Amino acid sequence: MITIFKNKNDIPQDMEYVEWNDIYFNQNTAAGLDDRAEKIIKIIDGAELISKYKICSKFNHIVLDVDRLSAGCKTVLNIVYNPDKVFCIKECGGNALEVLYGLASGNAYSDYALIPFEMNGVNVQTASYKKEIMDYEELKEWWCSDE
Amino acid sequence: MTSKPVIMDHFSAVHTSFVVDFQFTNNITILAGDSGTGKTASFLIIKECMALNPDIMCLNYLDFQKDIAGMIKAAKRKLIVIDNADVLLDDNIRKYIAVDDNNQYLIIGRNPKNLFATRENLFELISEERGEQTVFTIRNYI
Repeated sequence: MITIFKNKNDIPQDMEYVEWNDIYFNQNTAAGLDDRAEKIIKIIDGAELISKYKICSKFNHIVLDVDRLSAGCKTVLNIVYNPDKVFCIKECGGNALEVLYGLASGNAYSDYALIPFEMNGVNVQTASYKKEIMDYEELKEWWCSDE
Repeated sequence: MTSKPVIMDHFSAVHTSFVVDFQFTNNITILAGDSGTGKTASFLIIKECMALNPDIMCLNYLDFQKDIAGMIKAAKRKLIVIDNADVLLDDNIRKYIAVDDNNQYLIIGRNPKNLFATRENLFELISEERGEQTVFTIRNYI
């Protein structure tokens, strides 16, 4: 399950934090896309990954570079392909959040609650603890608390 | 916050097989919704119009190093279109935007914090295929 940070100061010093998912994806993640990306791109953006750097868009079925993926899709792909880094998830829509919360691992940051209606468990991490939360309301309460 | 658009109540533009056709009912339009619906594509089409239309100012993550607050506060009689707003806009500039009646705003993002927004401000993008074109419109976010 993914790990969520709500305070940048809680992110361990040996983990890089990435705020601009578009830039990081275009400059780093895009070069490493493989079969794992296909399903994610299909679910979130409704596009087909037709070669390493090209997608067939659901709009007019035009072929585009992968830099035209949505910010939400890029965020999820960044998290999948870079488990040693923490990514800002503020640009994820509900459909991207649903995929994000279903990932086996990865690290996410937001200072306000971003929770899909359907969620399984997540880890939440502060400077002093890391714990598992399985419930929507409990996660929302953790996110909104000042601890 | 409910207020009439001060710059334009309608914007339309064509970019090859894509059409943006937005009807504005409020001075601050927050364009939210799922990822991959065409919000940034619409932004880029509007941004292209900025080259010819002096009433439009577009900002996105590429402007992160600029003085965003200064640029917005200096703007007069503009439709200010902001993509990546959830990361780009801090609390102070959000509060300024909320009460700015010199400019009109199209904010692409999901966080209405400090914009004093109500349901009247929240919209989502709708795409519709018409022949070989895709037309983007907006409607109130449910």
